[in-house]
Amino acid sequence: MAQNRFPKPDFESGYKYPEIHHAIPNEELLVAIDIILLVALMGIVSWAVIKKRTRGPILWVSVISVAYFGFFRKGCVCSIGSVQNVALALTDNTYALPLSVLLFFILPVLFAFLFGRVFCAGVCPFGALQELVNIKNYKLPKALTTVLGMMPWFYLIFALLYAVTRSSFIICRFDPFIGIFRLGGDIGMITCGVILLIMAMFTGRPFCRFFCPYGALLSIFSSVSIWKIKLTDKPCINCELCHNACPVDAIRPPYANKAKESRLRGVKRLLNYFVLLPLLILCGAFLMRSVSSELSRANKEVRLYDMVMQHEANPGDVLSLELEAFYGQGDSIEGLTQRYEKVQADFKLYTTIAGALMGLVVAITLIGLSVKRTRKQYEIDHAACVGCARCFSYCPQYKIGNESGNIAL
Amino acid sequence: MEQKKENKNSPIARRKFLRVLGTAVAGGSILAVSGVLASRLKNEKEASYYWQIDPQKCTHCGRCETDCVLQVSAVKCFHANKVCGYCDLCGGYFRSNAKELNTAAENLMCPTGAIQRKFVEDPYFEYTIDESLCNGCGKCVKGCSSFGNGSLYLQIKRDLCTDCNECKIARVCPSDAITRVSMDTAYKLKD
Repeated sequence: MAQNRFPKPDFESGYKYPEIHHAIPNEELLVAIDIILLVALMGIVSWAVIKKRTRGPILWVSVISVAYFGFFRKGCVCSIGSVQNVALALTDNTYALPLSVLLFFILPVLFAFLFGRVFCAGVCPFGALQELVNIKNYKLPKALTTVLGMMPWFYLIFALLYAVTRSSFIICRFDPFIGIFRLGGDIGMITCGVILLIMAMFTGRPFCRFFCPYGALLSIFSSVSIWKIKLTDKPCINCELCHNACPVDAIRPPYANKAKESRLRGVKRLLNYFVLLPLLILCGAFLMRSVSSELSRANKEVRLYDMVMQHEANPGDVLSLELEAFYGQGDSIEGLTQRYEKVQADFKLYTTIAGALMGLVVAITLIGLSVKRTRKQYEIDHAACVGCARCFSYCPQYKIGNESGNIAL
Repeated sequence: MEQKKENKNSPIARRKFLRVLGTAVAGGSILAVSGVLASRLKNEKEASYYWQIDPQKCTHCGRCETDCVLQVSAVKCFHANKVCGYCDLCGGYFRSNAKELNTAAENLMCPTGAIQRKFVEDPYFEYTIDESLCNGCGKCVKGCSSFGNGSLYLQIKRDLCTDCNECKIARVCPSDAITRVSMDTAYKLKD
């Protein structure tokens, strides 16, 4: 497109071409600082939660994280979004994954596997922001939290679906807090962010619990983590204070399973689940596959193909910018059709997998609801616990042995 | 005997076993995923990360101005002096329907007055961009490409760009001109 209509001027007055320098920030340094800070902050939280058992450092980490990862680095790239890059890198050989993105993805997972969700506790700027505004914890009804608790999984599955088909990074696109960190942006998303923050004032971390796809992923690893957060070393006196203090409903109350069922019935119930599980998976796969072509409209190639087809049908219409660019670049319709068909085939495959996974999520949630275990004392649900360390200072047993006075709020 | 049998089938032991199994599977999968990704990892310098516009593909549609996540777009007009014809009648500087060739605002292409013009020698004029005024609308680029050498072009300033994981302009770019470049490719320039 470089049109050289006019010859280069030959100056007689000794004019020199100006040297123009375009600023390049020290990107390598910033990336290095990001990674070092990520590890350091997660280390501090792990130490505070597992060893020191106090909340003070976590609040400081939250402030640093909101200031640095949030307002200074403007929230990109974050671990939540990195899921999409990693998924794309795993399925597409041509996509070059930067090391920093890989580290942003894998380090919090690794820490979750070792110490629980310490990343969520205060290193993630989104979690930290919600933690800092929280003033009161109203408990939500169990039915609501169970239904909403499936949403992060669905969100994760959709995000992966759109990432591996190279359509869109929906986690980044529908990010409620990024507009707040950038002090500007899409007004709809900022409104969502503000609403979430107002909700976060009265109930613990609505985004983390009901939307965050990365938190869902971390919960798998934290539930089998090697070092686990303990409520107290001393025997629990079942006072329920920790349960009331927990902002994310991660402390399960004692439960006496009175209706002791016979072994046969238990086995029967288990068999029913195993029939139900593949049925739900098949249902999900079938449903998602049937809407695959509708979902594929999020892909740019598909939209362009539709536009071109529409234009070919009535050529008299005014050209849109996309069509102008398409015809201007002299792309062939055959090439576009080929790309379109490839995207459609990808969507057929991946929507089926996504549907199956969604069925699995529903099935596991249902099974989880009907499994009733006897608990003698308050126990932490390590999948849901975000390691905010609120419960420690509420535990009367913990206070007895800890009179040195370093009990944080 | 009965007691012993119950202990053997006790759910506690089973749960412990499942937990160890879960830990092993989780640890294994972390190793596997990071191994696969690390083997595919290109050199950090080669891995593309920073958004740049391909000036050859750009159709200066004007969406760079409106669709950037920043209030004032990180896309600015760049000027390749070595391509420029230093014309008096500049397609990027004057509107095509300008009544008079003077610096009155109604004659100028740039809505913010970011293009400055300096007399060099007869008949040549030097054009420079005041980046702090430029909003990346691309009107001058359109003018320069349709009546000129195409020395004005749009590019993303790396010091202004927030490196969104998914560039919002790239999503709406009609010609797919915005792609990622690696750390050591500084700018896609037109010189």
